Amino acid sequence: MEMLLMGICVAVFGMAIAAAAFGAATRPEKRIAPAAEMKAEAVKPAVAPARFFIDEVSVPGPTGRVSIPIEALLLQLERHVRLEQAAAESFLAQPTPSLLHSKTVSPFLN
Amino acid sequence: MPNDHYDLLNHLAPVDVERTLVLGSRISLSSGGELFPLGAAADSLYLISRGQISLTLPMKVRDRETDVVVEERTAGQTVGWSALIPPHRFTLRAVAPVETEVIALSRQALEQLFTDHPDIAYTMSLNLAAVIGQRLQLFQAMWLREVARMVEQRAA
Repeated sequence: MEMLLMGICVAVFGMAIAAAAFGAATRPEKRIAPAAEMKAEAVKPAVAPARFFIDEVSVPGPTGRVSIPIEALLLQLERHVRLEQAAAESFLAQPTPSLLHSKTVSPFLN
Repeated sequence: MPNDHYDLLNHLAPVDVERTLVLGSRISLSSGGELFPLGAAADSLYLISRGQISLTLPMKVRDRETDVVVEERTAGQTVGWSALIPPHRFTLRAVAPVETEVIALSRQALEQLFTDHPDIAYTMSLNLAAVIGQRLQLFQAMWLREVARMVEQRAA
């Protein structure tokens, strides 16, 4: 009988602790007053929205230029060299001032 | 590839083309394979019999060291002429972007051939001068285009 009473006491005590812990975990945070909330909003720095699964985000930098992945940049560089060589070869085939300074469609120059 | 299509062997008699080519050894390169690195001792020059060779120079792009293609050579053309020009060091890196085959001609074998056959030496020297001259003129024009753009930007 004593053992039974002791078991009931321990069970009730355990349930009380579990209920207190659950209440603390699910209690809502205190609501910020609207004025304070607006002030906090105003001083929040402007940041680009977080993006997942993207290593490099194409966001215009301080100079206004768009940052592109390095692989794409290297491809552009390779294309630029090819176009410049083709332009130089055209000049060598028929040397004229206009061919020497002819424009190409290189992304580095446009 | 017909023998007379190698730019280094232009204007040689067929017998002399044959005499030159028997000195070479064929090298097969898989896609991405390196023919020679920048700065290596240049002991052989290469005639491209099949495929393509990209000549690259190192460049730092966004703090990353990378090889930039500055010239592409195809079948029939010559790469590695530093083997015949002192100080016999490669000034570019050569890689095969596709499966490629080249004929390697060692400097030692070529020098012996030139000693034994001065007429071959003369013709091949003119052909080599044409290959080197073409590179010089091409890069001269590219450099001048770049300078012109720089001046234009400064003046703007």
